[in-house]
Amino acid sequence: MTATKHIEMRGVAKAFRFFALHGLSFDLEPGQVMGLVGPNGAGKSTTIRMAMGLMTPDEGEIRVLGHPMPAAQAAAKRDIGYVSADMRLMPNATLGWHMKLVSSIYPGWDAAYAATLVKRFNLRPAQSTHTLSHGEHTKAALLLALARRPRLLILDEPTTGLDPVARHELLTEFMDVLRDESRSILFSSHNTVDVERISDRIAFLDRGRLVANSDKEDFLERWRRIEVQLPPGAALPELAHIVGHASDGRFHTLTTNHFDERQLAQLGPAVRNVQRMSLEEIFVANVMHHREARDQ
Amino acid sequence: MSVITRKLIAKELYVHRWTMLSSAAAAALAAFVCAFGRTAFNVGAIAWITAVIASGVMLAIYGVMHERKEHSLQFVLSLPISTRQYVFAKTFGLLLSFMLPWLVASASAVILVLASPAVNDGLLPYIVVFCGFLLANFSVVLCGALHARSEGMMTAVIILTNMAVSLFMFIVGALPGLRDHMAGPVPVWNGTVFNVLLIEAIVLAIAVTLPLLTSARRRDFV
Repeated sequence: MTATKHIEMRGVAKAFRFFALHGLSFDLEPGQVMGLVGPNGAGKSTTIRMAMGLMTPDEGEIRVLGHPMPAAQAAAKRDIGYVSADMRLMPNATLGWHMKLVSSIYPGWDAAYAATLVKRFNLRPAQSTHTLSHGEHTKAALLLALARRPRLLILDEPTTGLDPVARHELLTEFMDVLRDESRSILFSSHNTVDVERISDRIAFLDRGRLVANSDKEDFLERWRRIEVQLPPGAALPELAHIVGHASDGRFHTLTTNHFDERQLAQLGPAVRNVQRMSLEEIFVANVMHHREARDQ
Repeated sequence: MSVITRKLIAKELYVHRWTMLSSAAAAALAAFVCAFGRTAFNVGAIAWITAVIASGVMLAIYGVMHERKEHSLQFVLSLPISTRQYVFAKTFGLLLSFMLPWLVASASAVILVLASPAVNDGLLPYIVVFCGFLLANFSVVLCGALHARSEGMMTAVIILTNMAVSLFMFIVGALPGLRDHMAGPVPVWNGTVFNVLLIEAIVLAIAVTLPLLTSARRRDFV
């Protein structure tokens, strides 16, 4: 029997006055961590809000944990932990009150794990929420989401505005969640370092379009920067899958999204260096390539 | 009513406990002040009205607008509820939150009329319809807050409903069925009183039901 996909989006579109999300389709399988990467205004939060049932798509179909969204959002959210960077807890209440509220709603609330997270995140249950810093607020919201032991964690830029230590603590907790292979995470960020660290699948979003969606290792294996120094009078041969090209006289830097030994063979002794690319470099090159292709 | 809806209604009562208690205390104190002569009555009456209206406005602003603006709405909507359940819990939670200070204010005004020799008992029907109006008026403020998508719109709702208080006092206070008996020694419960109460009940019912039919069906909730 095939396990239910944790998120299925098919041809999802959503238009606003100055922004539109076009034909978004992707799946999130159980046990997977998908990093949704995009610049500001790419549509990451809109995508996540539609996955949570907080927004209704104009077109397309969304199913989360097998439930159609937003129609069955109440049922779906029984197994989802959702945190966004700008989420705030209720005013005039303590973290302890929030823990009591959430534990009374979720039968799977893990009190021992919640107590561990309180200590690990250096939070105080008696502390009123209006005295929490931004980082403490995010940690408190994550504690409330993680201790539910949800099958699916949906995190909208959870590490934004956090110091490196706090980011490290949160990312460690996310990785801990994935020890259970039936759980999954959809995680949006414009910080590619965080995404590279915990994701095993990555989707690049730019200006409302999904420009690439693949396994992290696949991205890292396929993308290369090739430095070439041509002999005087020689021309650069026509190569397939070159998505970026910068030149300075006889020196050329080529970016390929389907690296192959045959490309090196075609270039011959002119090749000076072949570099692996970081996820950030791949992301920028990918986005720029798609923007140029769309503008033509 | 589902368990989570009940918990969210209880959440409203807890989060707004200080607004409820301080407004109730202020309204009771203002009614008490009214018993000490004509000037004190005027000062106390203004303070009493202000306490009730302010509690309604604060509940609408902090319970609906701030929850949206400060993004605690996202936390509430991360819980396993539908938007319809959220709107239901919000409407009835805030209505109950308002009803505590409103009940204390209404009871203290009724006690003032019945217990104070300086205030004619004939004023009682007017006090009752006025208290009914304040409850209906809050339901309109709440309905407006649940529909308003901007602070400007919310401000307009607050201004209009505050103006409605003065209009009610002038217009309904001038109805012969009420005006002619206000200075009398005994309360007169006639058709005018019941008609005004009926209209207030209809306004309340519409204002409470409307968000469930419109706001809960909004396609984008955040």
